[in-house]
Amino acid sequence: MTSTASERSAALSEIGLDGQNQATIGRLLATGNIGHAEDRDDGRMHARIRIVPDQLVWDPSVLVLPHGGHLDIEFVNDDQNTHCALVPSNGDSKWMWLPNYSRGTMSVTLDGPGYYWFSSNIGNDEGRGLIGAIVVRGDVPESARLDRPQQPRP
Amino acid sequence: MTDIQDRTDIEYGEAPPAVDFGSLTSATGTAPPVVQDVTYERILDARSEPQNWLTYYGAYDGQRYSPLDEINTENVVRIRPAWVFSFSPHGLHAGQSTYAFENSPIIVDGVMYVSGWDGWVWALDARTGQMLWQYKHAIPFDVSLCCGNVNRGVAVANGKVFVCTLNAHVLALDASTGECVWDVTSGDVRAGESLTVAPLVVKDRVVVGSSGGEFGVRGHLDAYDMETGERVWRCYTIPKPGEPGSETWPSDGEAWARGGGNGWVTGTFDPETNLLYWGTGNPAPDFDGEVRPGDNLYTDSVIAVDADTGEIRWHYQCTPHDLWDYDSNMECILFEQDGRQLLAHFDKNGYCFVLDRTTGERVRIFPFVDRITWGEISPDGTVTPRIYPDKEGEEVHFHPGPAGAKEWTHAAYSPRTGLFYVPVQDTGAKVARRRREFKESIPYWGAAVTVDAEDMAGSVTAFNASGEEVWRWRNDLPMCASVLTTAGDLVFAGTPSGLFVALDARTGELLWQFNCGSGHHSSPSTYSIDGKQYIAVPVGWGAWVEGFLPGMMGGPHGQAMFVFSLPEGIDSAGGR
Repeated sequence: MTSTASERSAALSEIGLDGQNQATIGRLLATGNIGHAEDRDDGRMHARIRIVPDQLVWDPSVLVLPHGGHLDIEFVNDDQNTHCALVPSNGDSKWMWLPNYSRGTMSVTLDGPGYYWFSSNIGNDEGRGLIGAIVVRGDVPESARLDRPQQPRP
Repeated sequence: MTDIQDRTDIEYGEAPPAVDFGSLTSATGTAPPVVQDVTYERILDARSEPQNWLTYYGAYDGQRYSPLDEINTENVVRIRPAWVFSFSPHGLHAGQSTYAFENSPIIVDGVMYVSGWDGWVWALDARTGQMLWQYKHAIPFDVSLCCGNVNRGVAVANGKVFVCTLNAHVLALDASTGECVWDVTSGDVRAGESLTVAPLVVKDRVVVGSSGGEFGVRGHLDAYDMETGERVWRCYTIPKPGEPGSETWPSDGEAWARGGGNGWVTGTFDPETNLLYWGTGNPAPDFDGEVRPGDNLYTDSVIAVDADTGEIRWHYQCTPHDLWDYDSNMECILFEQDGRQLLAHFDKNGYCFVLDRTTGERVRIFPFVDRITWGEISPDGTVTPRIYPDKEGEEVHFHPGPAGAKEWTHAAYSPRTGLFYVPVQDTGAKVARRRREFKESIPYWGAAVTVDAEDMAGSVTAFNASGEEVWRWRNDLPMCASVLTTAGDLVFAGTPSGLFVALDARTGELLWQFNCGSGHHSSPSTYSIDGKQYIAVPVGWGAWVEGFLPGMMGGPHGQAMFVFSLPEGIDSAGGR
């Protein structure tokens, strides 16, 4: 039997897939919150992402950008353990330590559309739940589109 | 905005500043400015500087032949690894199970420029393997990839390294630092487009061809200004209604708009004709021809494209109205015979096409694989289909399978021996037509496909220009990697099991082999530093193995550049 989308959160919780050491050892990926980056006047986007104590999950674990471009992410580690952040970016991925109770800002550049995974790449933080998604919405520039009539999409 | 509030019961500290992940490697950060003086004129005359491998095929003629001869039939048995560059992925990336190392290394005056899967580009010290710089483009996890997370190489000129990305961008990087100079979006990922091709520098332009035929895009080649990234021309390989060739598509409906025909492998170039010779891919849907009656130009064709304007001057279609996924993307090798300017193209459909490259006139057609059951092409060019998916759900079996008798991986031609050396795959497949509605970005094959995992064979086969087989080096598994030939009268080839072999170019005798630990699906090249010759081969099994060798689906991935040389004077001091 399958659940509907609206029932999914409740089912994840009931089974114990949205927390640490319940049904599974870790937390099923992408079961955390969804958040949106803010478009600022200077043309950059901004977001805050924190690590929830003892939950090994990014909050939000799915960050939505309205379009591709430059993104400043302030990471906040509220956990009582040290983690880190490895985030894709054009040119080179960005990496930073996130010691217990620390805050730091990272700047990345991402193309849209599409989505990217970021993570804490130490130990098995990734398997336990510290993998998050950055979703970039929008379309490619008109100059990059095919010269053809509009086509149906799924 | 993410609504994340600070906790009031915590006194936060500052995290150490974020850094480039590449700064946490042994990379030195800079490469000598060797590309600054690489000009179109030097690439035109690339074979006069055999110490370098300046362009994708080594030279514009696509021969994959090097005049270097320090390593030869007498001493090749002594070559050994000089250094290995190994690089494994970090975090989750697209095509986690399909990434492969399909590169052809470019070498300029002791510096090697390499692209990998998933947006990686590296500059390496070609003597020691020391990483000099790295560039990483962020590739969306969800890009549409028919055939794995791959990239076939870079181009270099005027101080820049040009590379394509899987999300259909074309980049120019500073060859000394790896920093991005310009970045243009060349294709539409929402339409299923991507870029895997190694760019070709011609004059002051960078030419690339798109990928995405399995998703029903409309194929195109593009030329970009080398300095600014501005598009100079675009050549669609599927004509719009009313354009020449449009009569080969249904006059009603939009089959042309989804017609495929992508140019996803680098072309060759003849400065005398000023023509690019570029192979085009399969029509879409691959196997359901009933929705696209007609020959479907310019799919499965060799097209001769004016390098200045992007106009198609002539074409030769190898598989009209393809029903077998027989792309014609593979190389067009330029050569001369009896005073004629010719090209040779070994096609997926099992036949070699020798054409007059000034006119496109057919000179010769000959088969180069043992089993061809899909149909027949007579010497006069008449195509007679025999076995093909036709009735809905009715399975047919044919040879060669959709990977072809030769995949995109390249043959070589030695002007010393007058022989072509061809990596051959002899594998069949079962296909049943299964019609589906077209939806943008969703695979559009029109069939259920299973490729044989047994009863297969491979070889490197040598043919003379008349199409006569001169020798054959047999392998139990199909040969799925490009070959390289040298003035040392050697042919180098990699096997799917990981062996890298050296064959006598005149006899096919196996002279040397080395187990690289992972299958080969790339294009080796050769170079020299201070007179010492090196052979470089990217090793890394993967890509659409289900299509070309499902019997090796479980084969180990790899991600290493192996470089071989004679043992004297090896300097493996790369690293710190």
